[in-house]
Amino acid sequence: MIYGDKKTGILVQGATGKQGEFHIGLMNSYARLVGGRGVVAGVTPGKGGREVHGIPVYNTVREAMHGHDIGAAVIFVPAAAAADAIMEEAKAGIETIVCITEHIPVHDTMKAIAYARMEGASVIGPNCPGLLSPGEVKMGIMPAGLFTRGNVGVISRSGTLTYEVVDELTRAGIGQSTVVGIGGDPVIGQTFVDVLERFEKDSQTKAVVLIGEVGGNLEEEGAKSTRLPIVSYIAGISAPPDKRMGHAGAIVEGGEGDARSKIARLKKLGVPVASRPSEIPDMVRQLFRSSC
Amino acid sequence: MKLREYEAKKVIREYGIPVPAGFLIRSADELPPHLAELGEKFVLKAQVDVGGRGKAGGILMADPSTAVATAGSLFKKEIKGLPVKEILAEQRLDIRHEYYLSITVDRSSKQPLILFTEEGGVDIEITAKEHPEAIRKLIANPLMQDIPPFLLRELVGTAPKEIGPIINKLYRVFLEKDALLAEINPLVTTPSGVYAADAKIIVDDNALGRQGISVNRDLTDREREAEKHGFSYVELNGAIGVIGNGAGLTMSTLDLIEFYGGKAANFLDVGGGAESERVMHAVRLVASVPTVKVIVVNLLGGITKCDEVAKGIIAAGISQKVIVRLAGTNEAEGRSMLSEKGYEMLDTMDLVVKKAVEVTA
Repeated sequence: MIYGDKKTGILVQGATGKQGEFHIGLMNSYARLVGGRGVVAGVTPGKGGREVHGIPVYNTVREAMHGHDIGAAVIFVPAAAAADAIMEEAKAGIETIVCITEHIPVHDTMKAIAYARMEGASVIGPNCPGLLSPGEVKMGIMPAGLFTRGNVGVISRSGTLTYEVVDELTRAGIGQSTVVGIGGDPVIGQTFVDVLERFEKDSQTKAVVLIGEVGGNLEEEGAKSTRLPIVSYIAGISAPPDKRMGHAGAIVEGGEGDARSKIARLKKLGVPVASRPSEIPDMVRQLFRSSC
Repeated sequence: MKLREYEAKKVIREYGIPVPAGFLIRSADELPPHLAELGEKFVLKAQVDVGGRGKAGGILMADPSTAVATAGSLFKKEIKGLPVKEILAEQRLDIRHEYYLSITVDRSSKQPLILFTEEGGVDIEITAKEHPEAIRKLIANPLMQDIPPFLLRELVGTAPKEIGPIINKLYRVFLEKDALLAEINPLVTTPSGVYAADAKIIVDDNALGRQGISVNRDLTDREREAEKHGFSYVELNGAIGVIGNGAGLTMSTLDLIEFYGGKAANFLDVGGGAESERVMHAVRLVASVPTVKVIVVNLLGGITKCDEVAKGIIAAGISQKVIVRLAGTNEAEGRSMLSEKGYEMLDTMDLVVKKAVEVTA
């Protein structure tokens, strides 16, 4: 596991909102299934004293930290309040901060991530589905039913495309160690490089599927940084330049970050690149065959 | 959203960066009152939302005797298919040297990146390839409102030292205007000082509200309509309409269409937890594109309710064929509702896309 396990206590910021409440329910039913601690506290300013699914809600993160052992936080607050939530959690000493919220202005994200780095916290996201280590812990909104435990790590800038790939892997009998959605924004906390570094130290993870998309060059930086065997897929080969494809970060600008040159650079680094998601399971099998 | 040149120049002037004297006109008749201030030689620059306007004939030299006629002809032109509705009439500078200055969001360091070169006026991408050593780079700390003077000195090097404060002022613009890009190219020296001869600002779409911008001009009418429903939508020009949930999955569906030799008409990400009404709006929106012959719906997720999606597709009642791939809760109900009405449902995204390409071939 990376970022957390059964013993990790989770705090949810924005616990009394519609999304927060709904996903506390799902995270804790997963925790019950695997025998983990799951969500132990919620925070919504001004709603302290309430309960959500039997979980106590506090006004501040600091208050919640007094009564509970908390290692990670998941944020469901609106975009205008999300950067503040990241900084509040980092200041309170939470190590892993998962920010689900989308549409956060990029300047807010840059400030919050710089602040979290100063406080020694790791931010996953924003604009991400969170992470799931099958049989251990779920932090975020991934549909747990598709996952199965194994030794392939998955890192992705996308949400549903990740579920598609995980579903393909599971059907092919290939289990996952941890699946991390790092987010679709141009500025994100943990990048491919950071997550790969954790996977290298994780004895459970033997290979990694890296799911990228147009925009930037974080995929290539990641592939360059690791010794782990990788299979990759890049979405957006048909994306026109200067158009944002849903994700704020998925844009080909000034001729940079287009899928074709990204794929060419990955292949040059020796990384096999799937031309469609359904090819990934076979390519992972190939990887295991050649590395054994 | 990209600001027009006159808007970007107005912003940087407010922050104390010198710009040439200029006036915005919306017809040739508006020019004469400004002629005295514009002087003997000046430029007429079409304010169109498209790059490369100079080469496309959007920038013309003028003098007081011919200016009204020149402006009149520029107003009648189309620049890369766009009508000219606004012209910036601007004083011509006596340029001695050109520099390049830009501030962008650097994805790798997650911080602002300042680029300065002593060779401005040209394409920065060309400089980056041919003379990478000529580009000076600085990663700024987003938690600080100013660039420390020692870093400004390092950036400016042997260039005139008045440029240091200009870099800091542009950095303030970048931070306070929620810019993804703030660029001055060229930044020029003249006998009367340093000026921003051109300026470009792109404002973060996620910050338009707090920047007081109510309409995103970069979107087409249909894209704006889609935004109202909370969809991410991009217009393309093929025959296969696409509706997906999640940006990555939808992009991947478009790629698969290309893989099988078809052409997509659009990108539409309907977002999470799609209820019947949202699905209905999405289907109708895509069906309203004249080129669309068939629509692929590719929805996957734990919280997507297939019966809701089926209801939405049926309620849309469109004339084009709809091919559906659905996975999620209540899958059996959704399936039987759709098959009762004669819709085609397939199990994987490969299969739905292949089918759609066959239909349009």
